[in-house]
Amino acid sequence: MRLSFYQRNADKIRIFLFILIMFAITSPIILSYFWLILRSFSVDMKGFIPTQLTVKNWRFLWSEIKGYPNIWKTTLNTAFVAIMVMLFEVFMTSMGGYALSRFDFPGRTSMMKFILVLHAFPSVSLMVAIYYVLKYLNLLDNLWGIILLKASLETPWATWVMKGFYDGIPWEMEWAGLVDGYSRFQVWRKVILPLVKPGVAVTAVFAFLSGWSEFIFINTFIFSQEFWTLSKYVKATIGDFRFADYGLLSAVGVFYALPTIILFFFVSKYMIKLTIGGVKG
Amino acid sequence: MPTIRVVNLKKYFGKVKAVDNISFEVKDGEFVALLGPSGCGKTTTLLMLAGIYKPTGGEIWFDDQLMNNVPPKYREIGMVFQNYALYPHMTVYENIAFPLRAKKMEENEIKKRVHDVAKKLMIENLLDRKPGQISGGQQQRVALARALIKQPKVLLFDEPLSNLDAKLRMMMRAEIKKLQEDLGITSVYVTHDQAEAMTMASRIVVFSRGKIMQYGTPDEVYRKPKNIFVATFIGNPAMNLIRNLDYIKEKGKAFLVSENLRLELPEDVAKKIEESKNSGKFILGFRPEDAKIDQKESDMGFWAYVYVLEPLGRDLIINLKVIGTEELIKIFAEDEVNIKKDEKVFVKLQHGKIHIFDSETEELII
Repeated sequence: MRLSFYQRNADKIRIFLFILIMFAITSPIILSYFWLILRSFSVDMKGFIPTQLTVKNWRFLWSEIKGYPNIWKTTLNTAFVAIMVMLFEVFMTSMGGYALSRFDFPGRTSMMKFILVLHAFPSVSLMVAIYYVLKYLNLLDNLWGIILLKASLETPWATWVMKGFYDGIPWEMEWAGLVDGYSRFQVWRKVILPLVKPGVAVTAVFAFLSGWSEFIFINTFIFSQEFWTLSKYVKATIGDFRFADYGLLSAVGVFYALPTIILFFFVSKYMIKLTIGGVKG
Repeated sequence: MPTIRVVNLKKYFGKVKAVDNISFEVKDGEFVALLGPSGCGKTTTLLMLAGIYKPTGGEIWFDDQLMNNVPPKYREIGMVFQNYALYPHMTVYENIAFPLRAKKMEENEIKKRVHDVAKKLMIENLLDRKPGQISGGQQQRVALARALIKQPKVLLFDEPLSNLDAKLRMMMRAEIKKLQEDLGITSVYVTHDQAEAMTMASRIVVFSRGKIMQYGTPDEVYRKPKNIFVATFIGNPAMNLIRNLDYIKEKGKAFLVSENLRLELPEDVAKKIEESKNSGKFILGFRPEDAKIDQKESDMGFWAYVYVLEPLGRDLIINLKVIGTEELIKIFAEDEVNIKKDEKVFVKLQHGKIHIFDSETEELII
């Protein structure tokens, strides 16, 4: 039997083509990150080639730049918002998701439908109303305002996600805990909650990232430089009242993205492990 | 160990009557099986005994204590679930120790007790493993250990063996029975497998559609089924039924007849039928082992032809079609019968081994 070149190497060729196509699809993203990193270390760029290397763009790390707040203070603000949003969301959704999954209360179904509809609303459309609410609560130009706003806007959807994780835990697990001599709350804390850890991790990561990358509300409701976060800082480098500093923009951009990337590395490993070793049958 | 008394117990889910007004009693130290097809309310009943479901109506008593509003943690029960419900994030040791931790027991005492019960169930070498790392049979033993460790007054089993393979199931069946006998703990065992119920329980509650069909010893439910449901649910192969029979009397002799079938009845049976309230239509039932194959016609029986033979090694099941009604019946053959497919044979019934049910109510007449 004679096989053609293609037939003899069909598997290899197919994989090669597959990789080629995948690369073509992802290259715009990869190349733009690549460009961003290169740009942050160069004076100027000709296409993808830096004209001259420099670390001057990173000067914001060790010196104050005129017209900008201190970068470390800004980073701290960003982390504060991200972590507080995360804590609020994890706290509320780990309980709310359980309630939606396990309790049969009046209005449960319509509540869940409503959550879906609610999520379809772009939060930008709420801007004016939120302004009045924050003003009334005296939370304008205050990071707590942003935190509460962010957490409350995302909690419904995250609760829905957590409900899905709770739904995956068999009732028997809970009954076993009750029979073993624990109250419902104790069973939740000692048996059920550890089993939805992957869900908590997912919620926490998404909450953290959404807090970390929040821009619109910061840009709208924060006025003082001392409350800036990194997104606002990046925005400022493009500038309304000054010339865009592309070197600085790239460097701050990379700096801004770094923690997220690091976090993602840690957590994705952790999450994959959890799903594989998770609940069986 | 308490006596469990269930009085007029009801559980409705919306309009669905999962458990519909049932009463039964489990004596001190007794092993009772709740038997029925899926969705018959047996597990719901068990969950009410455990305190996980609240009854819609009726009462549950442990001795002289009304348990309706007692949460599971105060009931002193141990429970084994169908999927074992072991906590996957804890080691086997932690799983077994979990009920003791609820009692804030001292660590030394916990350790001693866990090792004792693990030894009894032969799982001592697994204590460091996670449930996901041990086999189904081993998980089953861990679940049993967890139920036993707090020395419960009542043991509840929810189809504990149905996830095991056939061989292991037979082994665990005997082991659980032995364990229960040794410990003398009042036990309620839910199963849909009649063989499990027959072999393990001292009494069986047969369920159908939320009602109790019969409550009796394995022998009673097998020998004297109260109705068609019990008759056909218990026994493998099931009881043979010949439906749609009329009762007539000719020249002082009594017969059950259909178009092509004529069955002479003994006097005592005829008397019982006449004394009973009945709809005039009857169902005849007999167990596969209570009939014999013969070549010539004799007093009580009917003709049939051989449909299929099922050899089981030790036994042979002969599938026959009744001539005239075409109903399929199964009979255990005596050893060394020499019959062929399509052969015409006489099925000889035995006195005292036939059951007659009313067609309408499906209740036993004799």
